[in-house]
Amino acid sequence: MSFPFNLRGLASRLLNLSRPIQTTTAPSASRCLSTTSPLLNTPKGGKKPQSGGAASGKKRGKGKNAVVQDPKIVNLLQSLSTLSPRRIPPPLRMARNRHLRHWTIHRGWLMFRRKQRDERERTFMKQYQSMSAACEELRLTRGPGARPEGYLYRVAMEKKGVYGHHGVPIEYARAQTDTPAKVAWNHDWKR
Amino acid sequence: MSAASRGGNAVSALLRSSRRVCSQCARSSPRPAIPLTTRRYYAEQTTTTTTTTTETAAPKPPPPSPPPRKDISSEHSIIVPSQSDSAHYISAGIILTRAPLLTREPTPFEAAFYLYQKRLNERLAVPFRKNLYFRTDTASDLDWRIKVRERHGVPAKDIGRYNPRGRTAWNDEVLTGSPLSAPETIVEKLLADAETRVSEDGEEIAEEERVPVEKPMPRRTEADEKNDVRRLDRALDRTLYLVVKGKDGKWTFPAGRVDTSEALHETASRVLEQTAGVNMNTWMVGRVPVAHYVKRPSFGEGETAKTAPEKRGEKTFFLKGRIMAGQVDLTGNVRGVTDFQWLIKDELREVFATDYYHSIRNMVELR
Repeated sequence: MSFPFNLRGLASRLLNLSRPIQTTTAPSASRCLSTTSPLLNTPKGGKKPQSGGAASGKKRGKGKNAVVQDPKIVNLLQSLSTLSPRRIPPPLRMARNRHLRHWTIHRGWLMFRRKQRDERERTFMKQYQSMSAACEELRLTRGPGARPEGYLYRVAMEKKGVYGHHGVPIEYARAQTDTPAKVAWNHDWKR
Repeated sequence: MSAASRGGNAVSALLRSSRRVCSQCARSSPRPAIPLTTRRYYAEQTTTTTTTTTETAAPKPPPPSPPPRKDISSEHSIIVPSQSDSAHYISAGIILTRAPLLTREPTPFEAAFYLYQKRLNERLAVPFRKNLYFRTDTASDLDWRIKVRERHGVPAKDIGRYNPRGRTAWNDEVLTGSPLSAPETIVEKLLADAETRVSEDGEEIAEEERVPVEKPMPRRTEADEKNDVRRLDRALDRTLYLVVKGKDGKWTFPAGRVDTSEALHETASRVLEQTAGVNMNTWMVGRVPVAHYVKRPSFGEGETAKTAPEKRGEKTFFLKGRIMAGQVDLTGNVRGVTDFQWLIKDELREVFATDYYHSIRNMVELR
């Protein structure tokens, strides 16, 4: 079982999203929460539901007849109830020195990212320049044989077979991994 | 530039009949002046164009200088093997690369930053609810309890001993030199967590009876340890380049002369097959050359020095290829190659001649 970072984050975000919808007139959100409220109250012992309102009071009465008793659903609802805005932790509070350290770390991270990006772009520029210089040299080259100047360049600029099916081999889609395969490279491949 | 001045330029270009030196290639022997209306910025067979321009531009005087080359239409009947450029041979080569198979190793700062962010996330996230994921008193629940107890009650596996809600919640920074953020430590912790600690009937398994989880393969392979430069499973997080040792004992990329009837990419694939055998799954990335190397011709003394070079130079254009599987096989190669290596970009500098390295160094990849 993996650690549910994502689920927790998602649930809290969902709840934060649904809050302003509740306060305005959104019938679907309020009804959803009002059906759950009796269930939330039963194990805790009469806690006031967070989404109490005039519109939901009527439906709460209707829900009493059909109490969901499936323990899985009860468990789910209990877990969701802990996502209430009162229980999710407050935003980060840091003292002055701690916040300055945080700021330094953040700036360091930005600098790291920028260096990486610049290095990457510089490589791309170099590669482009290399290609450009090679193409210019090719354009001013005569031959082979009795071919005129620029013949090889024109052929090199053709885009035959570049696009479409079999343009790029499927092996090229292999993603990089953190650790290699058991046999890292197939040296015995035969045509 | 305004429209009026552009028109003036055009008119002056049309009226000008003096000799022009090409600003792009700075040739010593100037080409015939071409009016702006038919000036081209791409390569084309020039003889046809000059004839059309002389026909269309009737009031203009004929081109002042004779064309610098021979008449191409007469040359077409003669088959000259790669001799038309009198000073240079044309060659095509292939830079065969193996793409990195592994991701980049994170820098210490990067790893430490990720751990820092994970702990900040612990401070911000809703507490973990065990009951949502484990039914009470099942085997998996007991397993979880054992593991959490060993982690001192921290649900997360890889953040070390930190409780965001306890008395020491402020203490979320790791001390300098802590190995906690290293990737090896994280892998170790995840593997420890993946081990089954409780049997199916809910009894704790003794330490000697636990089945260890299979470990991932190491990032450094056997070829790395032996520094075997002929293996393709070395330096898995770097790009490898194929270099071969020619008859003259110099290390180069595989290259060969372009035949009269060939284009660059055809020559490159032919040369690769002749050099390294067919048992490689390769892919030519494109037909456009990614780098070039020009060996200048040498002109001797005497009266023929200006017309014919003593020793012809060579223009080599490199195309880029990728290898997906297979290995170089030098047995029975017709190009007289004696050795090969798969090198990363830093090692290329050591084996190549200086001018050769300088002409190809811009095409190498980031890692």
